[in-house]
Amino acid sequence: MSDFHHDDEFRLNTPEFNELNKRLDRRNFLTRTSLGIGALALGSLFGNSLFGGASKAEVAATGDLEADILRALPHFAPKAKRVVYLFQSGGPSQFETFDYKPMLAKMMGQNLPDSVRKGQRLTGMSANQSALPVVPSYYKFNQHGQTGTWMSELMPFTAEVVDELCIVKSMHSEAINHDPAITFFQTGNQLPGRPSIGSWVSYGLGSDNNNLPTFIVLVSKNGQKDQPLYSRLWGNGFLPSKFQGVQFRAGKDPVLFLNNPDGYDGEDRKEMLDYLSKLNQLQNAAYGDPEVDARIAQYEMAYRMQTSVPDVLSTADEPNEIFEMYGPDSRDSGTYAANCLLARKLLEKDVKFVQLYHQGWDQHTSLPSGIAAQCKATDQATAALIKDLKQRGLLEDTLVIWGGEFGRTVYSQGKLTPNDYGRDHHPRCFTMWMAGAGVKPGVTYGETDDFSYNIIKDPVHVHDFQATLLHLMGIDHERLTYKFQGRRFRLTDVEGKVVKDILS
Amino acid sequence: MTLGNITTFSGHLHPLVVHLPIGFIILAAILNLLSYRKKYENLKPAVSVTLFIGFVSAVLACLLGYILSISGDYDKTVLINHKLSGIALAIISGVLYYLSTEKVMLEVHIPRKLFSVLLISLIALMSYSGHQGASLTHGNEYISMRTLMQQVREKPASVQSAMIFEDVVEPILQNKCAQCHQGGKRKGKLSVDNLQALLKGGKSGPAIVPGKLAESELYKRVTLDPEHKDYMPADGKPPLSKNEIEIIKWWIEKAGAVEGKTMAQLKNPDSIQMQVGTYLGFHQPDNGTSNDEMSTQAVNPDIPMQTDTLAMARLRTKGLMVRLMLNKPVMLDITLPANSGVKMSEISNDLMALAKNVIWLNLSGNNFTDSDLHILKSFVNLEKLRIENNPVTDDVSNNLELLKHLEAVNLNKTKITDVAVANLKKNPSIKRVYTWGTAVKQPG
Repeated sequence: MSDFHHDDEFRLNTPEFNELNKRLDRRNFLTRTSLGIGALALGSLFGNSLFGGASKAEVAATGDLEADILRALPHFAPKAKRVVYLFQSGGPSQFETFDYKPMLAKMMGQNLPDSVRKGQRLTGMSANQSALPVVPSYYKFNQHGQTGTWMSELMPFTAEVVDELCIVKSMHSEAINHDPAITFFQTGNQLPGRPSIGSWVSYGLGSDNNNLPTFIVLVSKNGQKDQPLYSRLWGNGFLPSKFQGVQFRAGKDPVLFLNNPDGYDGEDRKEMLDYLSKLNQLQNAAYGDPEVDARIAQYEMAYRMQTSVPDVLSTADEPNEIFEMYGPDSRDSGTYAANCLLARKLLEKDVKFVQLYHQGWDQHTSLPSGIAAQCKATDQATAALIKDLKQRGLLEDTLVIWGGEFGRTVYSQGKLTPNDYGRDHHPRCFTMWMAGAGVKPGVTYGETDDFSYNIIKDPVHVHDFQATLLHLMGIDHERLTYKFQGRRFRLTDVEGKVVKDILS
Repeated sequence: MTLGNITTFSGHLHPLVVHLPIGFIILAAILNLLSYRKKYENLKPAVSVTLFIGFVSAVLACLLGYILSISGDYDKTVLINHKLSGIALAIISGVLYYLSTEKVMLEVHIPRKLFSVLLISLIALMSYSGHQGASLTHGNEYISMRTLMQQVREKPASVQSAMIFEDVVEPILQNKCAQCHQGGKRKGKLSVDNLQALLKGGKSGPAIVPGKLAESELYKRVTLDPEHKDYMPADGKPPLSKNEIEIIKWWIEKAGAVEGKTMAQLKNPDSIQMQVGTYLGFHQPDNGTSNDEMSTQAVNPDIPMQTDTLAMARLRTKGLMVRLMLNKPVMLDITLPANSGVKMSEISNDLMALAKNVIWLNLSGNNFTDSDLHILKSFVNLEKLRIENNPVTDDVSNNLELLKHLEAVNLNKTKITDVAVANLKKNPSIKRVYTWGTAVKQPG
């Protein structure tokens, strides 16, 4: 009972607010001095010669370091240092890509048995259909790689690297419509407002390259934009603003205004920014608004990006064979292929989280032609990214993820003809894959029934996927929390289990 | 609500109330002495009032003290001294008050200075009584010259050199038991002063029986259910930690409750090494051990638990990314950004200081030569090494032959040949060698 009345629970209790409080607090002095003494005391823990010939600044710096070490986030030794998440927005059909269901060919056009559907909900788009005719893949499947994994003929390039992939066929989600489903995948909650995975990772682990943002987002310009993407999908939610994903534009100038305007040589820019920073700090001292901190950090980052971004965007050093590997689109900046190549260059610079989005996988109608176009636009570059990372040795510590927000139905939405059909949303099972750091290569995990309607073995929930991703980065998903509005939030909410069987 | 043990409750008030007469009587003496000066002459009447309050509180303290003495097991002689001196103190303070009242002052004239001397003597008596009381509560040795003179045992240099009784068991007992079982305060007639006293035990029998846990009263009591009336430490005093109990158990059962022996001199100390190390602060207790995800990870035991943070700080100021991969043990991932312009001579000392902690190392694209990279030999716990894009030759592979944890080596765009690959194959731990853009014909 006493806890119930404890007014602490009802107070604004975000780290920023506490920081502000601390700054204004008369106890500030005591806190600081005691922390200082604490840091000195910690010194003995680390057995260095703290006072032997070290300058004052050095001692101060290492005091911080020791505190750093004590509360260092990696809860486990990480396997992955970077992540590239190739988000296939729209819900790619598992039937025409990875989940081979030969049985369906015999049942073409027959109604989906009720014993399979078991009265589960359908979307409003196909719930009123008079029949739910089963439709097999229009495209052929073949076995590939040493593992003999079945893959559709639509992805010949991905098929070449299939031995690198850990294919999870038993993904399932809770949302049946695009926006809640993507939001769920990216933030762990169907409703907007939570931080994105990339934001959580930057918040938890910090940056490995101070000259580039930790979390960069690339949206391809050549995906069909039938379903929108909102920038909140890579937003920081309630985390401090500096952890938000930075979107590079799809086009000739991924970051605008990097070059100095005509007539200005940029020589006094640093000076100008220093004065601006002083003004901002004055403002900060007066109001203590954490957004001012974020703004100062962003100006400084922008300044550093003036040199770092042209460097990373320049393709002058890329030989022809690299462009050929990623496909003809890779020379057209802003396409999926060009973004894959750019992603590799960002990963080379130790950008921690690169997220690509490619829209247009939402084939309610004309699926055979639609999905073929989607695969053509993405397959080669996806495979090239894996090969390129592998030859550079970057696949050692980079995790590559491919997948959409849900799968598609076994039955045809709309009219079924021999050459044409559509498929509706299906969150109960779908396929995604991971490759690289920390996951077993050449593995298929989980199984669906003959209709790829229900999971029959090793289901992997979206929260499980998120927990596994964090685990590979060295984070215990249950311990990475942020207190906001009186509650500690985490990416996986109150669920999530690391899928240990796919960890190498 | 039922009324609890009111005698115990009021008895426990004694140590609280007892400080009232102390304060008032000292205040009375101070006022008395001050009143000699002209400036403070007006304080004189206050002496009488202050003494009166001192007297009343002294009587109250005596009553409460008597109640406490009934409930506790205390050293008899010390108790009698404390009791008598306390009662005397109350009476004398009463008499002095009586003498200081105006009415009496007019009839019996006591020289002013005599009164002051009496008052100061009263403080002396109070000090004596107070010391006896403190000995009862905190033990005889609580305030003694021994504390000053005593040789403080130095913290042992390692778990192996730690004396099991002197460095480990005894400090535990001192910490958790001595408050009630030492010197003047020997509840249950038990003292934990030394091993002999433990073997002798108290009212309920020997506290320790070498080799026999079931007969060792001390072990039995600390492992009871905390709600049990015989549970120790009693009265909600801080209990022994799991770790401490394990150590005591091992000491009684496996080490025959010996004294004067180091860990190294005992048989099979391995099973308790971890606990002793934790107790002595050699490693932090692992808060995460209950986490099953943690325990699935096999961490190389050779990686040190600590690191040279000064070296870390210096490397960071030189632009290297020194990333923590884990804090227990301290695993580091160090990257020198490509084209940094930093020379090996500027960083090699600091890198060497961290060598055993470095698990991933990336020195790619910095124009390092074979001679720059001889230091790699010392990175014995290294798992992943990136030295691509450096003008190194086959010679560099010689440094990597003995690194028994090395898994992956990136030698892309270097001047190596098949010789290096053949060399690296001699190291069975190396699983992946990257040789893209080199003269190597047969990738490893």
